[in-house]
Amino acid sequence: MKRNTIVLTAVLFIMATFAWAGWANFEYRQQAADHVLASVAQGELVPDPAGGAPQYVTPLKGKPAPAFVLEDLNGKKVSLTSYKGKAVLINFWATWCAPCKIETPWIIELRNQYASQGFEVLGISADDLNRDDPKEFAKDKMEISQSAQKLHINYPVLIDGGTLDKQYGGLDELPTSFFINRKGTVVAAQLGLTSKDDIEANIKKALGN
Amino acid sequence: MTCRTAGIRLAAAIGFGLAALATHGQVDDSGLFKGAAVQYLFPEQVTVAAGKASDVALHFRVVAGYHINSHTPREEFLIPTTFSIPDGAGVRLDKAVYPAGTDFTLPLDPTDKLSVYNNEFTIQARIVAEAGSHLVEGKLHFQACDKSVCLPPKTIPVAFNVIGK
Repeated sequence: MKRNTIVLTAVLFIMATFAWAGWANFEYRQQAADHVLASVAQGELVPDPAGGAPQYVTPLKGKPAPAFVLEDLNGKKVSLTSYKGKAVLINFWATWCAPCKIETPWIIELRNQYASQGFEVLGISADDLNRDDPKEFAKDKMEISQSAQKLHINYPVLIDGGTLDKQYGGLDELPTSFFINRKGTVVAAQLGLTSKDDIEANIKKALGN
Repeated sequence: MTCRTAGIRLAAAIGFGLAALATHGQVDDSGLFKGAAVQYLFPEQVTVAAGKASDVALHFRVVAGYHINSHTPREEFLIPTTFSIPDGAGVRLDKAVYPAGTDFTLPLDPTDKLSVYNNEFTIQARIVAEAGSHLVEGKLHFQACDKSVCLPPKTIPVAFNVIGK
């Protein structure tokens, strides 16, 4: 009888320890997740009072665009800071994104139209890259390159856009664009396929027109 | 019910629960979509002849307003929907037969027809199971979009119990 009591007590103690450890682990993970979430510049879709499509509002608006250095398709490092003094459209896209393919020709036309005023576009691919396998990495880059050629993209295409998801707000939905003025401040953002007119209006904001 | 069977059923129940949690996508407070755009519906359990190829119809639902590419998208860069079963589960996927996609056009490009699945769709999986009870943890890989945005490619668990007799 006494032995049974000792065994039962020991079992209950072990179970309580496991339960406590599990709860402590859950709490720790929850706090870590909250911390990560707080560090993400997550935007939100706000209903348009005029009844139009919801507007994408980014907490980056009015703040300096997060700096980055990414590789282009030739392996050359490209830094956002090197574009200071220019109005820049950062367009996150992916090879598998059908709406991106619709807006890309508009962006090309607008880039050609406003380049003389100091406007540039950086197309940042959010495609996954397998950097652990050189052959797969080369294949991934080739697919991005072929897709860019097929779309006649004439502006720099950078890769590894997924590494910017925290700074630029999740990037869970594509296309997503950020418009940066000559001082390097984010003046507007767009989520999803809207219209050429919307993109042009935001380019004008970035140019200060 | 043997201990082993009870264990497998418990594992299956946990698996289905986790799968349901993982696959239930929705628009959150920020107006952005979170989670997976496809949910595995059923079956939870099938009984098949051990060692013989058997057809199992796997049912899925795409979240309203979204679509995923069919198994045979028309554009080479679009990601096809694929079903797989990892090796070593006691169940082998011999063949998967996918439904034909339905045509879908984005409002701003009505000339470009996409081949997609939306609402509910069924994949016919031809499986070969060893004798016994097996918790299959299949995978569905897909990439979803609505009419203006695309979500990153995703893989969801497709958990079902196979009893080979």
